[in-house]
Amino acid sequence: MNITIQDLRFTYPTGLDALKGISLNIKSGEQVAIVGQNGAGKTTLVRHFNGLLQPTSGSVIIGDWDTQKHTVAKLASRVGYVFQNPDEQLFSKDVLTEVAFGPKNLGYASEKINALVKRALALTELSAETETNPYDLSPAWRKMAALASTIAMDTPIVIFDEPTTGQDAANVGRIANVIAELKKAGKTVITITHDIDFCAENFERVIALSKGQVLLDGPVREVLAQEEILAQTYVDPPQLTRLGKRLGWPEPIGTQQEFLQALSRRQPKQA
Amino acid sequence: MYVARASGLHQLHPLTKVLTALCLLIAGLTLPGNWTSYCITLLIVFPLSAWGKVFPNLLHIVWIVSLPFAISVLLIQSLFWGAGTPIFEFWLFAPKVEGARYALISLGKIILVMSSFLLFSLTTRPDALMIALKQAGMPSSIAYIIVTTLQIVPSFQRKGATILDAQRSRGLETEGNLWVRARALVPIVLPLALGSLMEVEERAIAIEARAFNSHKAETSLIEIPDTQFQKNFRTVTLVAMPLLMIFGILWRL
Amino acid sequence: MAFINIQNLTYQYPTSKAPVLKNINLQIEQGEFVAIVGPNGAGKSTLCYALSGFVPHFFKGELSGSIEVAGRQSSQSTLSEWVLNVGLAFQNPFNQISGAKYTVFEEVAFGLENMGVPRTEMQVRVEAALQLTGIADLAQRSPYSLSGGQQQRVALTSILVMRPKLLVLDEPTSQLDPIGAREVFNTIRNMAKDGTTIVLVEHKVEWIANFADRVVALKAGQVLLEGKPSEALTSDLLAEQGFGLSRYTSTAREAKKQGLWKKDTLPVTLDEAVEGFKQ
Repeated sequence: MNITIQDLRFTYPTGLDALKGISLNIKSGEQVAIVGQNGAGKTTLVRHFNGLLQPTSGSVIIGDWDTQKHTVAKLASRVGYVFQNPDEQLFSKDVLTEVAFGPKNLGYASEKINALVKRALALTELSAETETNPYDLSPAWRKMAALASTIAMDTPIVIFDEPTTGQDAANVGRIANVIAELKKAGKTVITITHDIDFCAENFERVIALSKGQVLLDGPVREVLAQEEILAQTYVDPPQLTRLGKRLGWPEPIGTQQEFLQALSRRQPKQA
Repeated sequence: MYVARASGLHQLHPLTKVLTALCLLIAGLTLPGNWTSYCITLLIVFPLSAWGKVFPNLLHIVWIVSLPFAISVLLIQSLFWGAGTPIFEFWLFAPKVEGARYALISLGKIILVMSSFLLFSLTTRPDALMIALKQAGMPSSIAYIIVTTLQIVPSFQRKGATILDAQRSRGLETEGNLWVRARALVPIVLPLALGSLMEVEERAIAIEARAFNSHKAETSLIEIPDTQFQKNFRTVTLVAMPLLMIFGILWRL
Repeated sequence: MAFINIQNLTYQYPTSKAPVLKNINLQIEQGEFVAIVGPNGAGKSTLCYALSGFVPHFFKGELSGSIEVAGRQSSQSTLSEWVLNVGLAFQNPFNQISGAKYTVFEEVAFGLENMGVPRTEMQVRVEAALQLTGIADLAQRSPYSLSGGQQQRVALTSILVMRPKLLVLDEPTSQLDPIGAREVFNTIRNMAKDGTTIVLVEHKVEWIANFADRVVALKAGQVLLEGKPSEALTSDLLAEQGFGLSRYTSTAREAKKQGLWKKDTLPVTLDEAVEGFKQ
């Protein structure tokens, strides 16, 4: 399901121009990271994807639906949204009920709900906590529960807002795994993140926003190698990209594997 | 809730405003006459708020809050008021003149309570009120609770809006008939309540970390100007309030 | 005598079934910048609360062992005295806003008012603190109108304006963009140079490597290891235990297996990695 954004502008009631003409196409099944400084408009932009915000001018089309013609609850069948703070949505007596809430709202048959919930809990490694009250989980695991409750909705598009904040390396790995599984299932994943290494390792395309406009948009390695331009929106390139550059290598490096390949190509053949 | 404006009302000492608002409130509720509360609202509170340049803000809030109240009171009175002169008759409804009159009188009292509260809260900075209360001898923890409670409405609104967004994003239908709206209440109210409980603990830690309970003599960043005239005026209101109450009781006896 | 001296600290919350901190021993010198790392649930935040007096004064529970800061025992002090020496800022910025102030400037002054700092001095100190953390332009805004990242800076400023001898920070940059986070780390680094002792919980390993003097790794309530960033963060023990590592370290470790990293020690910073891979 494609997302088509045309000349999107948004002004908050306070008069703040948060988005100043954004046009984008996100194709079905793409893995997109959105980066940029605090206040660049990242959250404002993705809140338009499920109708939480309506354009001041321009349009956002999800598949064949104009977001201005459908309610948020309706758009929820196409766009799942994982909020930053899990405490602003958890309310059920146990994790199982919590995760089933979204799919139930979407009116799926009960067998389908059971299967989706089971899969979401397995992906987030919460299967052993089905009967736990969400508020008895640690903040980091509450965040995983909120993530599970959105992916259980089985929407073609999933949005994550800063999924890795406050998470340790193990949970960041779990989130990366969830994103990989969503990709396998053909889902579109859109993630706002400050964690640029996470971005380099898990996404194909990066959009850098600055002051309500698209600063850079393209394949992850090319975008994240633009050190000077990224600095305008307060983003540092990933660690290994910087390392490759400091070593004077011309090709953009994103992941450890790419780095090691580039390194071995440069090693003189051992006699 | 505070709305920053350059006005004489804003410059007044917070306690002057609190006591004036209380005095007007008591006068409207205790003085004889069914329409006294309307008179005080229209002739004193509204002009004062215009002087404070917050009349549109005040009217807006009063309108939003009292409209549903007005409808429900009128409805109940027209359904359940026993004997009287019917205004019109339609199916089960036969609103009586007396019922409508009673509803309007009750509404006037509500509007007065709200407007006088808003008169001072829209024009008084929370920190100024806190300092004034402490200077008047109130313990800082009680002053803090009063002031933050005044902020609780906007804070709940913000939080509620975020929760509403999160649940609508999970497919929760919130627009539609009464049944749909009622069902949407639990997933919104519960996180609000649970979140507030957790918030209380963290906020207690945060203010304690900022020496809130230190036993040192406190100072204040801002100075609250006061005048002898205002001091005298406050004394007058302090005397007037019990007198008004006694007068109101005696009149009804 | 060390500035901070924690001996045999074991602590259990009233609601927890097992100790959250187990027999912790830790000495920290004045002006040292110590980073605490570890997985979720390792006890990092609890250790922060213990240093800042909230464990056990606020949370109650069972505590054994001792916590000493600047020559005073936590158990012999009240919380309100303790916080004058030890400042705490934690993760969620929204709940750190007092709710009683109308502007950021006044919000930052809140602690100084409570400490009884005279008005003229207060003005100067608040202005200096706002400059230091780079939020002077937000001074007249309402704290509620700010973004999470901005609120986080306000929370940090509100604590450091009180000039505590020890500053305890629990993930103070979680909502900041990378360059904003670097600015905050620079500020903290400079405060340490001026003699403020810093204890910081942080997941961002590259920052720790560049800024901290020492790393303490916690796991399941115990100190797993401690040492200089260049040693601790490259330790095989941390890699085996699933701690977050800098990409430089993990990549060099992999390269070493393939014979592509020649040095004995592994890098944690960009400079060390550049130097090693150039060989």
